[in-house]
Amino acid sequence: MIKLFKVKEKQREIAENANGKAPVKKQSAGELRLHKDISELNLPKTCSISFPNGKDDLMNFEVTIRPDEGYYLGGTFLFSFQVSPIYPHEAPKVKCKTKVYHPNIDLEGNVCLNILREDWKPVLNINTIIYGLFHLFTQPNYEDPLNHDAAAVLRDNPKLFESNVRRAMAGGYVGQTFFTRCM
Amino acid sequence: MADAAPPSKSRDLDKLLLRPGNLVGPSFEPGVQLRDDLQEYAKVLVVGAGGLGCELLKDLALSGFKNLEVIDMDRIEVTNLNRQFLFRLEDVGKPKAEVAAKRVMERVSGVNIVPHFCRIEDKDIEFYSDFNIIALGLDSIEARSYINAVACSFLEYDSDDNPREETMKPMVDGGTEGFKGHARVIVPGVTPCFECTIWLFPPQVKFPLCTLAETPRNAAHCIEYAHLIKWDEGHSGKAFDPDNPDHMKWVYDEAVKRAELFGIPGVTYSLTQGVVKNIIPAIASTNAIISAACALETLKIASGCSKTLSNYLTYNGVEGLHTKVTEFVKDKDCLVCGPGVLVELDATVTLQKFIDMLEEHPKLLMSKASITYRGKNLYMQAPPVLEEMTRSNLSLPLYDLMDKVPKDILHATGTINKDNKKSSGLRKLRVNFKGIDGVTDMDMAGGA
Amino acid sequence: MAEPKTKYDRQLRIWGEQGQAALEKASICLLNCGPTGSETLKNLVLGGVGSITIVDGSKVELGDLGNNFMVDESSLGQSKAKCVCSFLQELNDAVKAKFIEEHPEALIDTNPSFFSQFTLVVATQLVEESMVKLDRICREANVMLIFARSYGLTGLVRISVKEHAVIESKPDHFLDDLRLNNPWPELRGFAEAIDLNVQDPVAHKHIPYVVILVKMADEWIKSHGGSLPSTREEKREFKELLKARMVAMDEDNYKEAIDASFKVFAPRGISSDLQQIIIDSCAEVASNSSDFWVMVAALKEFIANEGGGEAPLEGSIPDMTSSTEHYINLQKIYQAKSEADFLVIEKRVRNILKKIGRDPNSIPKATIKSFCKNARKLKVCRYRLIEDEYNNPSLPELQKYLTDEDYSIAVGFYILLRAVDRYAANFNSFPGQFDGGMDEDISRLKTTAVSLLNDLGCNGLTLTEDLINEMCRFGAAELHTVAAFIGGIASQEVIKLITKQFVPMSGTYVFNGIDHKSQLLSLY
Repeated sequence: MIKLFKVKEKQREIAENANGKAPVKKQSAGELRLHKDISELNLPKTCSISFPNGKDDLMNFEVTIRPDEGYYLGGTFLFSFQVSPIYPHEAPKVKCKTKVYHPNIDLEGNVCLNILREDWKPVLNINTIIYGLFHLFTQPNYEDPLNHDAAAVLRDNPKLFESNVRRAMAGGYVGQTFFTRCM
Repeated sequence: MADAAPPSKSRDLDKLLLRPGNLVGPSFEPGVQLRDDLQEYAKVLVVGAGGLGCELLKDLALSGFKNLEVIDMDRIEVTNLNRQFLFRLEDVGKPKAEVAAKRVMERVSGVNIVPHFCRIEDKDIEFYSDFNIIALGLDSIEARSYINAVACSFLEYDSDDNPREETMKPMVDGGTEGFKGHARVIVPGVTPCFECTIWLFPPQVKFPLCTLAETPRNAAHCIEYAHLIKWDEGHSGKAFDPDNPDHMKWVYDEAVKRAELFGIPGVTYSLTQGVVKNIIPAIASTNAIISAACALETLKIASGCSKTLSNYLTYNGVEGLHTKVTEFVKDKDCLVCGPGVLVELDATVTLQKFIDMLEEHPKLLMSKASITYRGKNLYMQAPPVLEEMTRSNLSLPLYDLMDKVPKDILHATGTINKDNKKSSGLRKLRVNFKGIDGVTDMDMAGGA
Repeated sequence: MAEPKTKYDRQLRIWGEQGQAALEKASICLLNCGPTGSETLKNLVLGGVGSITIVDGSKVELGDLGNNFMVDESSLGQSKAKCVCSFLQELNDAVKAKFIEEHPEALIDTNPSFFSQFTLVVATQLVEESMVKLDRICREANVMLIFARSYGLTGLVRISVKEHAVIESKPDHFLDDLRLNNPWPELRGFAEAIDLNVQDPVAHKHIPYVVILVKMADEWIKSHGGSLPSTREEKREFKELLKARMVAMDEDNYKEAIDASFKVFAPRGISSDLQQIIIDSCAEVASNSSDFWVMVAALKEFIANEGGGEAPLEGSIPDMTSSTEHYINLQKIYQAKSEADFLVIEKRVRNILKKIGRDPNSIPKATIKSFCKNARKLKVCRYRLIEDEYNNPSLPELQKYLTDEDYSIAVGFYILLRAVDRYAANFNSFPGQFDGGMDEDISRLKTTAVSLLNDLGCNGLTLTEDLINEMCRFGAAELHTVAAFIGGIASQEVIKLITKQFVPMSGTYVFNGIDHKSQLLSLY
């Protein structure tokens, strides 16, 4: 290849004089795959998406979920998504930005959803995650708890759980914790 | 009888570079010219000045290369000293790239090494285009993916979808972990690129959050609980910094508390660091082996003095010694190194028209396409909020939207309608605008 | 944290404090400090080896500046050993570094007892004659020996040690020791106390798979005349029974049970590798037997008696879906049996020591414990003398290699490395070492190679012209990258030999720098 290296010196001079700027921004394969996922989003009307950094930054976006049934009917819950450049090799980082009383979401916003961690596979996509999140609100479960107390109440006293959820969404205390209104 | 050659620094290398052979590269031209050209014209970039990088710099400097550059954003730490032999105790805290360059230049006269103490993302594309070969001594998938995208971006294809040799930027990539490692040769357009074979790297193991929260069973669970869950509770807002010893100690103490609570043995400070920082054990010998293989391949690629590795070497020294060469095949549909589909059109064609064209294009048959160009989303079919934001572009000429370059690459994603079957597809497109001044050869398609 | 500890952190995570201590006690002798030897030693010095002694009688020449990182312009004309030694000392001041300006061949011929002081000798760039002599000396003195050679784009590495026993072999993948095919009473009892039919769904999905499999296997045995599933049909049926017990799709513990069911079907008893070790003649111990064989003798007794055909229980269990409580309790059951087995073996070890006239406490508890934990993974490596390999290589192996496409270049180089040594003995230089007269050298090398093949009994087998030409082209060059690669391999093997962890390579490693299809030749 050494011949080519010498030829390259000459070529570079030519290229510099030619039309067409040297390319500036690199787009990772992850961004391209994300672009595909986003353009194929098929969200139910209960879920909406927004791009706080504008249309050209798809790696950071927010999803709002408004459950239309179940314990969380009427509430509005905001999730932040952070997608890595090596997506889909790595799952997006998802956090719940709304403080919620939920057995599978803790008070810091960590979400216990298997496909976000141990069950993530590159063949999954953003749509599957959003559906998974939605499912958490229509079917909260006490078997994989992050919020131990909420899980216990759901298991032992569903009526109390229901009223705790309503109080939290309306804005108020559940036990020692204060929840801001999110209805 | 044989003549003894006059003493020369290149005594041993000369045997390979000056003498003809039969088991050599296709364009090998042995001779003094080759050796001198290697010294004068060959420019190699070493990415990373750590365990692999230090070895690579030494190996390349002693393989006839005189123009080297090295880039690394890290500073020297004490834990580097068991293998990064260019660094001494008094160098701790200094930039790796700078110290490494200096040390090698001190010992090997005639070699020039330019250090770059910065992130690989901080450099322009022009910087990378200067080098003939890029040698990687990295430790992350993300960094490899980035450099791979950069190197492959120089690749151009002709109108018959053949890669043009003068636009290929070869890379040699090495990786190590304990007694294991790999070395590979990537020639964009010929061998698979990093992206073509990303499935070779298994995703990192992650524990379910609820196991951490509810049913920890071992020391690592206790540590990750403290690191991922408890930290936020106690330090709302502040990000955890694995290089901050106070932060690490905090996590360690919490992990110990949790382990005691559940009766789980085995939490040590060393394990805490290992789990949180995902520390990979590392020794000098494996790094030496893998770097040597990479440097040897670099010499062969540059000079043609022998056949090259084709194209992936795996190495395992845990039980005995095992090396294996696998010839992986490139993915012709690879978004990064593949030729993509050639689309030629007038500069007046609007984005809307272009999107319609894709439906009829015989190699694409793509309907409802969303288009992205160099990180700019020109048009998104969904979700509604993005569709609205990009709708106004539909009436603009694609040529304008592509910054008026005569040819370039963009990507389209949509529904492929082939053989009465619909599937979703993501395609790389080589767009070539006809009749633009400066495009002398209509057969040249592609771009960076 | 003490500085030395932090510096070695990344390697301590591989071989631990004990391995590091062994390295720091070791004294290494290097013969010839060209790049091959220097690079080998560099990796060992960085790792913290106790002491190094470099033996090399040559002076630094201009050509050395082109392939050896340990010498620089100021070294020209000086003793190469001295310069390399001082560079290596800089790399790690905890290492005691010495040099001797002497040609290794001279030492081998006139002062063989010199080598007895070392733990291990790294012999680089020696020709066949010297290799054979040194091998005899080291074997006699019970000093470990490793040969390393770089020659153009080829090279070799070969360990020569009479016997090397490895307890901590630390293989990459090794089946856990759960005894699901042969549970002992306490494990059975633990499983019996847990009800698989518990109503609470959380409890149902947090029963560890070990318990599930022990109970289901027991049920099967009772209804199948005392035997475990053995036919393909039975195994499938067993898995179906497991599946039928799942009450929900997401019960990971049951999925794990199904995936691990093969452990129930696995044959009982010890592996054939371990069997080979316990029937080895060295297991018939006498007063001069090593600690390792004394422990093997005890192990043999254990297997035949208390072990009931099994080795001592390893004692650890893999992670599995489970409630914390069940998991911890299960762990304790395994640890208890492991401890019990260890105590039996310890007693037997002490008895055997007494019987052979040694102090019964001479083997520490910790060593016996480690031996028990690793009993299923023991490895014994033995290496023939180089002389024997050279005079009597395994012919079928050689023939197989020479005719196999993937092996042919590496084996060709192996033969040629020996051929060039013969050539050098005849003509006082290596083929192609000097420019000019190449054709004559090629033809002479070919003749030498053919005669060597004949001597080995491989008449009729030939090496390709291309390879012979290539070997002449190399002209005995010592290329830095090849030396660094060989040096890396050699240093890694030295570490395994000294730390007695991980399994050293067996056979002769031949490097093929042309297409990297290097090979490990077993010429026994």
